[in-house]
Amino acid sequence: MTGKLKKVGAVLSMLLPMAAGPAAAQSSNPITIGVLTPLSGTYAPIGQQVKWGTELAVNEINAAGGILGRPIRLIYEDEEANPSVATRKAEKLFQSDKVDFLTGVVNSGATIAVGQVAERNDRLMATTVSLSDAITGARCSPNVFRVNAPGGMQALGLAAWIKQNNPKARVFAIGPDYEMGRNTVDGFVKQAKELGLNVVGQVFAPLGEKDYTPYFGQIRQARPDVLYTSTAGNDTVRLFTQLQEYGLRERLTIVGASVAVTAQNIGAIGAAAEGFVTVAGYSPDIDTPENKKFVADFRKAYNADPDLYGADSYGLIYLYKAAVEKAGTTETAKLRKTLEGFTWQTPQGPKSIRAGDHQAIMTVYVLEVRNGRFTIKEKIDGQTAIGPDTCERF
Amino acid sequence: MTEAIEYLQFVLAPQMLNGLTIGVAVVLVALGLSIIFGLLDVVNMAHGEFYALGAFVSMSLYGLGVSFWLALVLVPLIVLPIGYLIERGLIQRVYQHDQRHVLTLLLTVGLSIIMEDAFHLIYGPNTMRPENPLPGSTEILGVIVPNYRLFLLAVGAATIVATWLVIYRTRLGAMIRAAAFDKHMTASLGVPVLRVYAGTFAFGVALAGFAGVLLAPIYSVFPTMGHDFVLLAFTAVIVGGIGSFYGAVIAGLLLAQIQAISSLYISPHWSDPLLFAIMVAVLVVRPQGLFNWMGRS
Repeated sequence: MTGKLKKVGAVLSMLLPMAAGPAAAQSSNPITIGVLTPLSGTYAPIGQQVKWGTELAVNEINAAGGILGRPIRLIYEDEEANPSVATRKAEKLFQSDKVDFLTGVVNSGATIAVGQVAERNDRLMATTVSLSDAITGARCSPNVFRVNAPGGMQALGLAAWIKQNNPKARVFAIGPDYEMGRNTVDGFVKQAKELGLNVVGQVFAPLGEKDYTPYFGQIRQARPDVLYTSTAGNDTVRLFTQLQEYGLRERLTIVGASVAVTAQNIGAIGAAAEGFVTVAGYSPDIDTPENKKFVADFRKAYNADPDLYGADSYGLIYLYKAAVEKAGTTETAKLRKTLEGFTWQTPQGPKSIRAGDHQAIMTVYVLEVRNGRFTIKEKIDGQTAIGPDTCERF
Repeated sequence: MTEAIEYLQFVLAPQMLNGLTIGVAVVLVALGLSIIFGLLDVVNMAHGEFYALGAFVSMSLYGLGVSFWLALVLVPLIVLPIGYLIERGLIQRVYQHDQRHVLTLLLTVGLSIIMEDAFHLIYGPNTMRPENPLPGSTEILGVIVPNYRLFLLAVGAATIVATWLVIYRTRLGAMIRAAAFDKHMTASLGVPVLRVYAGTFAFGVALAGFAGVLLAPIYSVFPTMGHDFVLLAFTAVIVGGIGSFYGAVIAGLLLAQIQAISSLYISPHWSDPLLFAIMVAVLVVRPQGLFNWMGRS
C-alpha cells in the first residue's frame, strides 16, 4: 500500500515540474497593456482618473492570479491631448514595448488616429473617455472599442431634459475647437433642433483656452437661457469661473457633456458648478453592492471619489480579462470575434459591446450637481440611448 | 430706444471694456518691445519669454510665501539684472557687427527657445494659476466688471504713463534717446553709452516681466505662454510704427478693440487673422507705421 503510494508520489513528482513548467513560463511572461493618456496639460485631471481606474482593476486582477495565469503589466505614456504626439507614442508602445492591448486615449482626434496605428500593428485598443460619435460611427475601426457613453447618447438625454423642463428656452452651445468639441456640439444642436428647441447660436474656443471672456460678447448677444458646453478638464474651470466673475452664471442654466464637470475639477469650479446638468454613464451614487464596493476600494486606494472615467477605465480591464479568458488567447482576430456582442459586469451594471460598431450599450443617467455632488435625476435605458449603428466599415 | 440702451449696457459695453483690459495687457508687453526696438534697434524675439520669466519667478515667490503685492514689486527687480547681464554678455557681443540685425534676431530667437525649454524642465508642462488677489466683481453703470480687471486697467495705465514720463521727461530718458539718436556724439559728451544700452534693454524686459506677474492670475502660467501676447504685441508695434511710443499704445488699444467688436460676429480666435491682415495691409501701404509721425524718440 505505502509502496504503491510512494510510486504514485514519484510519478506525480516527475509530472509536476512538467505541469508547472509552462504555467511558470507564462506567469513570467506578463500581458502588457499600454496606457496612453494625458498625464500633463489641460486634460491631466482626466488622465488621472483613467490611471487610477485602470490601476485599481489591474491590482485586483493580479492579486487574484492574473489573466490565464499571466499577470498584467501597465506601461504609461503621456498622450498630451495631442493626436500627433499620441500616434508617435502609440507606435512606440506597439513596436518597441510590444503591448498586447492599448487604452487610455482621451482626445477624440487622437483616438481616431491611434485606431489607425492599432490597425497597422494588428492590435486592439479601447477608449474609456473619447466622446466623438465618429469613433464608432463614420470613422469606426475594426480594432477600436468604446466602453463609455458617446456624445450622441448624452445629447439625446440632455435635449429631452431641456425640452421637459424649459421647452421655450433659448439654447447656446460652446465647445473646444477640435474633433470632440465640434462633434458633440453638432450632435447636441441636431438633437435639440429635432425636439423643436430654440438654438440661438454656437461658438468654438481652442482647446486649452485661457480667457473665455472675448466669447461672452456672442453669448450676451444671443441672450440664452441655457448654455450647453463640452469643454473639459481645466477649460471648464476657467469658463465657469469667468462666467461667474462677469455676472453671467446666475442668468444661465448650464448643461453639458459628461466630460465638462467631473470629480476631478468640481472642487476647482466651486459654487459655479451648482445646478450643472449632464448625462453620463456613471455616478458614485449608483445604488448597487458592486458599485458600493468599487467606490469604497477606490477611495481607500486614492483618497478620492471615482468619476465616470475612473469607472469606465476600471470596467474595461475586466472586459479585457473576461474576453481573453473566454477566447483563451490575446490574439487579435480571435479576441475581436469574442468581444463582438460580449456582455460583462461592471460597477455600473452590465454592459455589452454592439457587434456592428464596437460601442458599449449601457445605462446612462441624467445627473445634476447639488451641494457639490452629482445626484441622479433620471435613468435612461441603454437600448433607448444608444441610437442607430452608423458604422459601415465592418 | 430702451432696447438700444440695454444692448449697449449688456452687450457692447462689457465687450469693449474687456477689449480695453486686453488692450492694456498687450500694450504692457508691446512697450518693452517697442523701447528695445526703437532705442536699441534690436528685434527682441525673446520678449515673450521674458514675459513668461516674470510669471514663473512670481510663482516661485508665491511658493516661498511672498504675497502678490510684494511679488509685483520684486519680480521686475529680479528680471532687471538678468536682462542687463544678457545684454552685456550676449547682445553687445554681436551689436557692432555689420550683420547686426540678422545676428541679434537669431540670437534672441535662440534665447527664446532655450528659455522656453528651461521653463519646461524646471516647472514642468502643467498650467499653473496663481490665486486671484482681488476676487469679486464691481458693478459700474450696470456693467459687471471683475475687480482684478479693474485693477489691471488702473495699474496698466499708470505703468504706461510712468514709462512715458521716464523716457520723455527725465534726464535719464534724454540720455537714452540721445544714445539711440547718435551714439558717438552722446559718448563724446560723457554718457556711458554701453551701460545705457544694457540698462534700456533691462528696463524693457523688466516691463515684460512685470506684465507677466500682472497677467498671470487671468491667463495662467505655462511654458509656452510667451507666444500668446507677443504676437499681438509685435503687431501693435508694427502697426503703430516701429519705435514709436505713442504708436504702440494707440495701436495696441485699437487692435484689441477691433478684436473685441469683431468677436461679436466671428469666433474670437478667428479675429487673429483679421489683425494680421491689418498688419500686412499697414506694411504694404504705410511701412513706417500708422502713427510714426507723432514723435519718434
